[in-house]
Amino acid sequence: MAEWNAYYQNEEDNVEQEEGEESSGDYKYSGRDSLVFLVDASKEMFIKGENGEPTNFDMTMQCVRSVYTSKIISSERDLVALVFYATENSKNPQDSFKNVYVFHDLDSPGAKRVQEVDSLRGEKGAKLAAQMLGSGPTSLGDALWCCSNLYSDIRLRLSHKRLMIFTCRDNPHDGDSGHDLSARTKAGDLKGTGVVIDLMHLVKPGGFDVSLFFCDIISPPEDAEELGLQLEPCAKLEDLQKRVRAKEMRKRAQSRLHLSLGDGVHVAVGLYVLVRTATKPAPIRLYRTTNEPVNTKTRLFHMQTGTLLLPSDTKRSQVYGNRQIVLEKDEVDELKKFDEPGLFLIGFKPVSRLKLHHHIRPSLFIFPEEEMITGSSCLFTALLRKCSERGVFAVCKYTSRRNTPPRFVALVPQKEELDQNQTQVTPAGFHLIFLPFADDIRTLDVHQSPTANSMQIDKMKEIVQKLRFKYRSDAFENPVLQQHFRNLEALALDMLEAEAIEDLTKPKVDLMDQRLGSLVQEFKDLVYPADYNPEGKTATKRKPAEAGGGAEKKPKVEVSEADLRAHVEKGTLGKLTVPVLKEACKQFGVRTTGTKKQELIDSLTEKLSK
Amino acid sequence: MARSVKAALVLCMDVGFSMSDSAPGLQSSFEEAKKVIRKFVQRQVFAENKDELGLVLFGSDGTKNPLADGGQYQNICVHRHLMIPDFELLKEIQNDVQPGSKQADWLDALVVCMDLLQKETLGKKYERLNIAMLTDLQSPVSDDQLDTIIRNLKRAGITLQFFLPFPVDVEQSGMGGDEAGGDGPGSKPLPHGGKGLTREQQQGLKLVRQIMTSMEEEEGLEEVYTFSSAIERLSIFKRIERRPMAWPCQLTIGSALSIRIVGYKAVTEERIKKTWTVVDAQSHKRDDVKRDTVYCLNDDNETEVTKDDTIQGFRYGSDIVPFSKVDQEQMKYKSEGKSFAVLGFTKQSLIQRHQFMGSQVVKVFAAKDDEHAAVALSALIRALHELEMVAIVRYAYDRRSNPQVGAAFPCIKEKYECLLYVQLPFAEDLRFFSFPSLENNKKFTASAEQLSAVDSLIDSMMLMEEDGGEPQDIFKVNHIPNPQFQRLFQCLQHRALNPNAPLPAMEPWLQAMLERPQVVTARCRTQLQEVRKRFPLTEVVHKKEQKTSADVFGKGNAEEPEAKKSREDEEDEFSVAGIAQGVTAVGSVNPDKDFRALVRQKSIPFGQVCQELTCRMEQLLGTKNPHYYSKCICSIRAFREESVKVGNAEFFNSYLQSLKRSVPDRGLQYFWDSLVHDGVMLISKDEVEGSTVTKEESSQFMTTAEKVEAAAPVDEEDTGDVDDLLDMM
Repeated sequence: MAEWNAYYQNEEDNVEQEEGEESSGDYKYSGRDSLVFLVDASKEMFIKGENGEPTNFDMTMQCVRSVYTSKIISSERDLVALVFYATENSKNPQDSFKNVYVFHDLDSPGAKRVQEVDSLRGEKGAKLAAQMLGSGPTSLGDALWCCSNLYSDIRLRLSHKRLMIFTCRDNPHDGDSGHDLSARTKAGDLKGTGVVIDLMHLVKPGGFDVSLFFCDIISPPEDAEELGLQLEPCAKLEDLQKRVRAKEMRKRAQSRLHLSLGDGVHVAVGLYVLVRTATKPAPIRLYRTTNEPVNTKTRLFHMQTGTLLLPSDTKRSQVYGNRQIVLEKDEVDELKKFDEPGLFLIGFKPVSRLKLHHHIRPSLFIFPEEEMITGSSCLFTALLRKCSERGVFAVCKYTSRRNTPPRFVALVPQKEELDQNQTQVTPAGFHLIFLPFADDIRTLDVHQSPTANSMQIDKMKEIVQKLRFKYRSDAFENPVLQQHFRNLEALALDMLEAEAIEDLTKPKVDLMDQRLGSLVQEFKDLVYPADYNPEGKTATKRKPAEAGGGAEKKPKVEVSEADLRAHVEKGTLGKLTVPVLKEACKQFGVRTTGTKKQELIDSLTEKLSK
Repeated sequence: MARSVKAALVLCMDVGFSMSDSAPGLQSSFEEAKKVIRKFVQRQVFAENKDELGLVLFGSDGTKNPLADGGQYQNICVHRHLMIPDFELLKEIQNDVQPGSKQADWLDALVVCMDLLQKETLGKKYERLNIAMLTDLQSPVSDDQLDTIIRNLKRAGITLQFFLPFPVDVEQSGMGGDEAGGDGPGSKPLPHGGKGLTREQQQGLKLVRQIMTSMEEEEGLEEVYTFSSAIERLSIFKRIERRPMAWPCQLTIGSALSIRIVGYKAVTEERIKKTWTVVDAQSHKRDDVKRDTVYCLNDDNETEVTKDDTIQGFRYGSDIVPFSKVDQEQMKYKSEGKSFAVLGFTKQSLIQRHQFMGSQVVKVFAAKDDEHAAVALSALIRALHELEMVAIVRYAYDRRSNPQVGAAFPCIKEKYECLLYVQLPFAEDLRFFSFPSLENNKKFTASAEQLSAVDSLIDSMMLMEEDGGEPQDIFKVNHIPNPQFQRLFQCLQHRALNPNAPLPAMEPWLQAMLERPQVVTARCRTQLQEVRKRFPLTEVVHKKEQKTSADVFGKGNAEEPEAKKSREDEEDEFSVAGIAQGVTAVGSVNPDKDFRALVRQKSIPFGQVCQELTCRMEQLLGTKNPHYYSKCICSIRAFREESVKVGNAEFFNSYLQSLKRSVPDRGLQYFWDSLVHDGVMLISKDEVEGSTVTKEESSQFMTTAEKVEAAAPVDEEDTGDVDDLLDMM
C-alpha cells in the first residue's frame, strides 16, 4: 500500500473525481496524467517474425495508436509523447542528444498525431521509419535524459508520470559499462522526480533477460509481494495492449469512506469505478467567426422588475392535490439527508439470495485504504476471505454523500485472478452491487402460456450449440461512440468521408445461417404450424414505413364538431382512435397533458359538455 | 396488480353518536375512523393517480342526499361527490367532519353510496368501483332489503370493504385476540371497556358476514379490517406504481428464425414523477422567474455574443472541431429500428454479475395470445436453462435509441417463464486498474484467531432465520419502500398542512427500517467485541486539511527547507545574517531575506526596494518553473509584512492587482491559487491607514479569483450527474 501511495501524497485531499454521480465538488482536479513511449528503433525491432508475424516495431506502433485513440475518448486532457531511441537521425529540442528522435513531444493527442502514428505502421511504415528515423548507436542514458527534459518543459501540473520502454534488446549497450552507468543514473534521476518507468519487453530470439540490464532501470514493483517483473516477453499484440492498458490507466478512488461494522469498528475503503457507461463528450459552444469556445452563463431575472435574482430570492415548489407546496432550497437538500457518508454493514446473506434481476445501476468496487485507518487491509482481507469461502455476501447501507438518501448494496467478494502472464485479470476486493427498493420493482401481468416439449427443446439446443462463442466483455465496441469519433476525426483532418466503422453489435446473419443450415427449418416445423407467419402483424405494419424511408406519415383525420358532440352525448368517444382524438383536442383548443386514450376522452368530454 | 386505469371509491363513515364513545385512555371510534380516512386520502393525493373519491357521512345531524324523500334515508349526507382527492378534501375532513348526535341505518347509507357510484360513473370507464364502510355497527338496521342490495352490488360490480372497531370473528373467538380476517393480531381491546358486543353490533356483524360471504365467498371476510390495523398499513406512502409498457418486438436468430416477443421493464430505478420548479421567494409564482442564458467570449471584457453567433463543437483530443447539429444528425450512427437479435450463445459463467450495465432489467415474454410464439420461446428458454447458457443479443429500443449488447438469461418460475435481459459493457466502458495483491501480502494476512473471529461474526450477522423449515430472509431490501420518497412525501404533506412550520423530524419507523434488524444487533454484540479486540484499527490523523504552498512546492525540494520554518525564526535569522552580510540589492537566491534586510537598513528608499523585489519576482515567475514559485510566495509574504510594518500599502496593493490581471495571460493560475491558499490578500484599511481597500474588498479580491478558478474545471469536465447519464440512454 505504502509503495503506490508514495508518489501521490500530495493528492491525498484532492483526488480527481471520476465523472458520474459521486462528483461532489469537494474535490478538485489535481493535474494531468502523462505517458511517454520510449521506443527502440534499432534494426532488431524491424525483423519480421516467423510465419509472417508483425515486427516488434509494427506491434508497438499499433499499441501506441490504440492508446492514443483511447486517450482521446476517455481522457483527452492527458499528455502523451512518443520518442524513439537508437535512431540514425536525431530530432529533439536544441538537438542536444544524438540518436534520439522526439516524434511527438508531450501534449494531448489529437487527430493529426493518430494519423502520424498510423503512417509508421505496416510495410510502408517500416520504409518511412527507415527513412525518417534510421537505426543508429544506442544510448539509453541520452534518451532518458531527453525524456526528462520533456517533462520539465511542461508547465502544467502533472499528477502522474509514466514512461514505458519498448524494446527487444536486453543488453542495449552491448556491455558498454559507461553507457550502462549513465542510463542507470538518468533512470534514477527520473524516478527521483516521480516518474514511473515500465519495461514492455518484446520477443527476442533466445529470450529476454531482464536481469542483464533493465532490472536496474525500471521502477520497483508497486507491491513488494507481487512479482513485479514481467518475465515473459509479449509475443502477441493483444497481450501487449492488455499489459500497456493495465499499466497506463491510473486508478483513482471515486471517494474514500468508512465501512462500519457496528459498535465503532470501522475500516477505511476506497470506492473505484471499474465499469461506467462511456458517453459522447458534451458539446462545446464556439463563436461562429473564430471558432473559439465561449463561456455560458445562466442567470435568473425577475420577470416584472427585471432585477437579477440571487439564489436566496427563489424557492422551490411542487403542486400536489391542487395545492402549491413551497420549500426553501436548503430544505429541499435537507430532506434528502439521512446519514453521514459511509457504508454501514447490516448483515450477511448466502450468495444465492442475490438475484439476477436485482440490478439498477452499474456496480462499483471497494478496496481497503490503509492510509486512512491502519489495519483496514487486514480486517478487509479476512472478511473477503471468509465471505468468499462461505459463499456469502454482505448487505450494507450506502450513503455516498451528505445530502444523498441511502441505498442498500450487496458487497460481493472477488478473489484475485492472474492470467498465464501473471498479469492481474481481476483484483481482490468487493464488488458493490446496488439493490432495488420496493418502488423499483414493477408489477407485471404474467400469463401462463404453453411450454415446449423435449423434442422442441432438444432441437433448440442444437441451434444453441451451433452458435456458441466465448464471450469477452471487451469484444464489443460502441458503434455510436466510434462513429462519433470517426466523424470528428474526418472533420478535424479535412477528410472527405469518415472512415467506416465495423458495427460489432450487428448479428453476422450470413455466417449464422450457414452454420445453422437446415436446423432452423427443422425447428420451425416442430413449433410453428405451416400457415404461421412469425413476423405476424407487426411486420406488415412496419414495412410501408421502412419503404417510405423514415418519416412516417400520420393520416390526417378530422371529425366534425357535430359528430364529436354526438359521440360525447352517447358516451361513445371511445370508438374513435387516438390520433383522431388528438386532432379533435387541437381543434377545440383542449390542452392535453396525457397521451392515454382515456385522458383524451376525459378532457374532450369536459370541454364539450360545458 | 393495481393496473388501474382508474378506480372510483366512496368512503362511507358513521358519525353517529355512538361512535364518539370511548373507553378511558382510548381514542373513540370516531377519531380512529377519521384517522383512517385522513391517512387514506393523504396517500391518494400523493399517489397522483386518477382515482376518484367520494365521501358520505351518516348519523349526521343534517340530511343531504338525492334519495331522501318523506322520512326515508334521513341523516345521511353526501359530503363530497366523486372527484380526484385534493388538499381541500383533507381540510374538510379535518374541520368539517364532526361527530353527529343522531344515528342512521348503515344499510341505508350503503344504498346511498351505491346510488352515488352508479350515477356518477355513468358513461365513463372505471376499472374498479368500491365502497369503504367505517362504522361501529351500533345503529339499528332494517334488513328486509338485504337481498336486493347484494344483488345490486354484484350486478354493478361494486366491491365492499368494512372497517370496524373490533375484529369480525370476535364473537366466535370469545373476547377477541384472534386474527381479524388475515389482518394481523386484533390487538385492540374491545370498545366500551371490553363489555362485549351490543345486540345491535351482534346483528350488524351477522349482516356484514352475510354480505361479504355472499359476494366473495370465503375470501370476502378478508376485506373486513379493524381501524388500528388500517392505520398501521396506511402510514407508509404508496409505492410508486407505473403501468408497465409493452415493447413488442421479434427475437431473431439468423435471418430465418424469428419469434414474436414482448418486453417489459421489470426493474428500474424509480424516480419521483414531479420535479421542483423554481419560484420567486415572495410571490411564489413560477412565471416571475426568468432564466436567461448568455454567451460571452473569453476575453477581458467578456463580450457577449448572441446564440445565433455560436456553433456547436466537440473536443477531439487537443483539437476542437466545429460540428453543427445538422451535420451531426446527418453523420451520426443510424440504428435500424428496434431489434432483439441474437448474436450468439455463451456460457452463463462468462457473464460477470458486476459487469451488468444500464439501469434496468427487461423481462421478455412471448407475444400475447400467440401460443406458437410461446412454444418457440419456451424451447429457447429451456434449452438455455439446461445448457446453463445465455443468449448475447443486440438490443435497440427503437430507431432513435442507441443499440446495446446484452445478455438474455433464461428464467423459469412456477407460474411463468421468460428471458431476463441485462445490458453488458462495451469495450469503451471498461477500466482496467490493477490493485496490489491482498491475498499474497504477508502484512495483511490474518491469523487463525482473527479469521475465526470474522467467521463467528458472519455467523452472528446472518440475515437468514431458520424458522423450522425454509430459511427466511429477515432483511428483504426489495420489500423496503424507498426512504427518499417516504421522507419527501412526509415533508410535503406537513408543509402543505402547516405552511409556516419547519420541516418535521424523520418518522421513527422509517429510521428503524433502515437499520440493522434488532435481533441481529443483539446477537452480534460479543462477536463484534471480539473482532475489535483481534484487529487493531487506528485512524490516521491528517495534519491539515488545507495545504500551504510550502507543502506543495517544498516537498522533495531540499534547497528550500527554510520555507517550512516558522516566521519568527526567519525574522531572527535574517536580522542578524542580513546585516552581517551587508546586503546591497535583492538577489535571486534569497530575494525575501534580501528584501527584508534592505528595508531594515533604510539605506535605499522603500519604493525602490519594492521595485527591486518585484523585478526579481517577475523574473522568477517568468521561468514558469514551479520550483521558483515557493521563492516568490515567500517574497510576496515578506513584501506584505514589511509594507504593513512600514505603513505603506500602495506598492504592495498595486503590485498584487497587476499580478492578478496578468494571471490568465501568463498561465500563473496555479501560482495564484497557492497565494489564495496561503491567505495572502490586499492590505486593507484596518491594517494600514493609507490603504484605499476595505477588509471586505480585500478578501473579495481573492475570492473572485477563486470563483473563476473553481468554475473552470466544472465547465471543462463532463461531470454529468448520474441522472443525466441515465437520461441520455
